Amino acid sequence: MKIGIPRALSYYNYYPFWHGFFSELGVELVLSDKTTKKLVTEGSALVVSETCLPVKVYVGHVLNLLDKDIDVIYSPSIQSIAPKIYNCSKLRGLPDLIRNVVNKNFLLIEPTLDKSEPNQGFYQYLYESVAPLGITDKKLIKKASKAGWECMNNFSIMTRSGVDIPTAMRNAINGKISLESTQKEGMAKVAVISHGYNIYDEQVSMKMFKKLKQLDIEAYTSYNLTIEQMNEGIKNLDTVLYWANEHEMTGAAGYYLKDDNIDGVITLTAFGCGPDSLMIERITRYAKRFNKPLLNLTTDEHTGEAGFVTRIEAFTDMLIRKKRTSIVNSLKRQVVKKEEEKRLVGVE
Amino acid sequence: MHKTSDNNKSKRVVAFPHMGNIYIPVSAMLRIMGAELLLPPENNSETLTIGTRHSIETVCLPYKMNLGNYIQALESGANVLLMFQAPGSCRLGNYATMAEAKLKELGYEFEMVVFDMYKGKIKEIAKKFSHATGTTNILKTLRGIRIALAKINTLDEVENRLLFLRPREYKKGSAEKVYIYAKKEIHKADTVKELKATLKNINKKYDAIEYDSKKEVLKVYLTGEFFVQLDPFTNMEIERELGNLGVEVERQVMFSHWSNNTLMPKFLQKEESHRDRSARMAKKYIKRAIGGECLESVGDVIYAADKNIAGVIHVGPFNCNPEIVTQCILPNVSKSEDIPVISFSMDEMTGKAGLVTRLEAFVDLINRRRRSKKTA
Repeated sequence: MKIGIPRALSYYNYYPFWHGFFSELGVELVLSDKTTKKLVTEGSALVVSETCLPVKVYVGHVLNLLDKDIDVIYSPSIQSIAPKIYNCSKLRGLPDLIRNVVNKNFLLIEPTLDKSEPNQGFYQYLYESVAPLGITDKKLIKKASKAGWECMNNFSIMTRSGVDIPTAMRNAINGKISLESTQKEGMAKVAVISHGYNIYDEQVSMKMFKKLKQLDIEAYTSYNLTIEQMNEGIKNLDTVLYWANEHEMTGAAGYYLKDDNIDGVITLTAFGCGPDSLMIERITRYAKRFNKPLLNLTTDEHTGEAGFVTRIEAFTDMLIRKKRTSIVNSLKRQVVKKEEEKRLVGVE
Repeated sequence: MHKTSDNNKSKRVVAFPHMGNIYIPVSAMLRIMGAELLLPPENNSETLTIGTRHSIETVCLPYKMNLGNYIQALESGANVLLMFQAPGSCRLGNYATMAEAKLKELGYEFEMVVFDMYKGKIKEIAKKFSHATGTTNILKTLRGIRIALAKINTLDEVENRLLFLRPREYKKGSAEKVYIYAKKEIHKADTVKELKATLKNINKKYDAIEYDSKKEVLKVYLTGEFFVQLDPFTNMEIERELGNLGVEVERQVMFSHWSNNTLMPKFLQKEESHRDRSARMAKKYIKRAIGGECLESVGDVIYAADKNIAGVIHVGPFNCNPEIVTQCILPNVSKSEDIPVISFSMDEMTGKAGLVTRLEAFVDLINRRRRSKKTA
């Protein structure tokens, strides 16, 4: 049995879980290819132009899977992750959108996770995920979910200890754990705040991490944080959880803005993202308050790489210069202090 | 920029944002409860400009309008602001805190009272209104609610007659005149009795209008996002434009339906609510509620097709999350149900001329469709 998973949106958050879960049940997962310009164009052609970039990318990935002759596609609707904590409408209605815009013959597996409803919890979600494939044994599903969580936890442990996402994903899927950080020491530390599907999609983020590495900058993301740290971050920004995926934005930003080891924060939003526009506003306001340099970047399917890179370079240059000045100043202060001490000793 | 004056700090001056005619029932209620009320000017381009200036770029039009209303009210001396948060989860739930932070940043002093309809309905309304007005008199509160509901029903009746007369009247604009007069009179009325007399008077004026009762008039449904549907400034008076093109509009959200559906407990409701009907009808295309009015919009199109309505006009603010999903789904619905649908996104850049041209084209299309169906 083969099912296709689009390499977009919730893939970046939950794929290790899905891998563990479906493998345990003997279902083979097929991923779509990495995002390309062509794929984005094909996806955008089917939806209205106002739609946000990540959804356009998602539609492109679905088409890509169908081109590969996969005729079962897994597209979950993550409605709400806790009572009254909802997701963005576009993500909530994702399978509905796909069903209506992709005019081809295929089976869409569309489980719903809605923790605000009494009967739409996690096990119901898992049941709906595999029932269309003919697996209805609830005990078996429970067992598979354990395998899923194992894989997911391994992945999280690795990312939290500083392993980059592609490596962590590879290791988790192969059942390996390596806790050795892949982060190399750089001239400055930058926190990149965005959703996983934006920053780890190389087409969308224009290979931002590679670029930062070339500039000798250490990059940190929400994947390096625990839920507790992100909850603390949300508190730092004087707010409460509103969106289902707010942890990776407000939470991570709140944590890093108060973290003295971080020199600056870069936010990356896809154009037309509703929740992000509000979260970024809050982050910007608090960055001013905490006196932390902040760069807001917006990307869409037309963004040119050159302009993007220039702004990152300018920002990191500024950070490094700032850091250098502060080091020089503190050295100077030390020298002055020592001289003063000497003079005082001389007076005595 | 002015700040609210400090010398009369104890006096509470209440203001709330505009949305079409909603100011009429709400201000009646506040007045009965003894609040000093400050009505910001009706939504106009200045409101929009002010609101846009202090908002982030991609936030939706209702927020910009609300913020504009607040600033205009604060400038004239309001110090208690009301904000409504209806159930249905889109970005709206964030707006109260965001507006509050922005206004505080601009240096205004005020208190924000948020109606969170998640927490309970009629109880929450009574509680928050009495907090805002400083009244604890439960009788006054109940009387306030009663007059507000009566005004809502009266307004809807008056509006329905306007929508019926507009495409049929001989002298263009005569129904509109009565309607404007009616709004003023209903706003003035203080008791239910007075209101009844006013309605009688208005109906007499409507009855005097001569119209072509035999004229074949096509009917279209207006559906979409709540605020844009109900606020004529925001939807560029789309109803009037359509009426002038000789089309009868049936708006899918009327205040009275909405107040009945959201405020009354479920077991007291006689009819299937708009939402339930839409969810039932839209099932084929959209299986889950996704916040906002997506389900309603899709359901209305199918309902229209069932009722053999000529076409559906779907409106929403630019970058409204739920309505984008609707816009993506509607072409498929329109094709399978065989009914013409047109979508409009409104924002501060939308030009009226373009809108009218597209409306004319749409009306031509539905007219021709009807004719060819008849001959076939």
